[in-house]
Amino acid sequence: MNWTILLAVEAAETAKEGGLFDLDATLPIMALQFLLLVAILNGVFYKPLGKAIDDREELVRTNILSAKERLEKAQNLAKQYEQDLGETRKKAGETIAQAQAEAQKIAAAKIAEAQQEAQAQRDQAQKEIDEQKQSAFSSLESEVAVLSRQILSKILGTS
Amino acid sequence: MLNTINSLDSLIFAKLEVGQQFYWQLGNLKIHGQVLITSWIVIGLLVVVSFLASRSIQRIPSGIQNFMEYALEFIRDIAKNQIGEKEYRPWVPFVGTLFLFIFVSNWSGALVPWKLVKLPVGELAAPTNDINTTVALALLTSLAYFYAGFSKRGIGYVAKYIQPTPILLPINILEDFTKPLSLSFRLFGNILADELVVGVLVLLVPLFLPLPAMGLGLFTSAIQALIFATLAAAYIGEAMEGHGEHEEEHHE
Repeated sequence: MNWTILLAVEAAETAKEGGLFDLDATLPIMALQFLLLVAILNGVFYKPLGKAIDDREELVRTNILSAKERLEKAQNLAKQYEQDLGETRKKAGETIAQAQAEAQKIAAAKIAEAQQEAQAQRDQAQKEIDEQKQSAFSSLESEVAVLSRQILSKILGTS
Repeated sequence: MLNTINSLDSLIFAKLEVGQQFYWQLGNLKIHGQVLITSWIVIGLLVVVSFLASRSIQRIPSGIQNFMEYALEFIRDIAKNQIGEKEYRPWVPFVGTLFLFIFVSNWSGALVPWKLVKLPVGELAAPTNDINTTVALALLTSLAYFYAGFSKRGIGYVAKYIQPTPILLPINILEDFTKPLSLSFRLFGNILADELVVGVLVLLVPLFLPLPAMGLGLFTSAIQALIFATLAAAYIGEAMEGHGEHEEEHHE
């Protein structure tokens, strides 16, 4: 009969050889083959996969580090750019103001020059008018003398 | 009563054997053949799966490599938590193999229908339901923590027996015996009891009713593997720290 529903201890007592608490050469063999399993798994499992995990961790860590570095660099660049932009804007403003001032100055100078020229031309014209008036007066005077002399002779009747 | 049970005997699964061994003779030594056969299958399975997982290692793991990496990280966590960040790495293979071997053994006992394979005497079952296996693993654990203690702290390791006071010397020595005893009998008892419960239930009600017990068996099997590995790691960690660390702290 193959089966027994006996308690463990009873089974151990009833079986002629064997039983539950039957320690024999299985023990050292099991220990040896377990150690062998440790050695084999160390070679094909723990070492290669552990290395893979460690390498990946290392890779991720360095990637994160370099990404942080690059982020910092990018932020610095952005800041620098902003600064440059501000400086350039200021400079451009200055240049514009300067150009405007120069233009104003040139315009003022031109206006003054034009006014001066106009004044000079007016003066010249006045002078010419005066001269012509003078010459007109003088020629008129001589004519008046001639005419008056003629009138005189006519009146006196020298004829 | 006997007749009713005899009628059940015709069912293949409805047999229950306790304490019957399938003996092999090696010289004048006796060996439990059924234990060794299943343990070879378990070992073969572990080696093949590990080999498949590490055959072509990818940076981005997938499939079996991913699964085994998950298992390895789980094992590393056990070792790291019990032994400590600094010292755990050399002990990962031992603790991890304890866990994997016990876990696969237990689950093979619960999941693989060993009883379809007929032996002249006895029956195939989980290797861990034989006292030889569990005692072997427990003794190896004892050796491991003695080795860990002596290699880390040298002869100073024996000083831990009179700590915190010399009065505790007998208890500390007793502990070295109770540790492997409790380790081996906890595992052995749990697995054997689980198989017996399932066996008796199958004998009484062959359909459906044993399923919850089987599910519970899977759960306890996993827990037992975890407990064994965790305790082994804890013993190793305990052997390596303690007195030596205190001294270092005093010097600093």
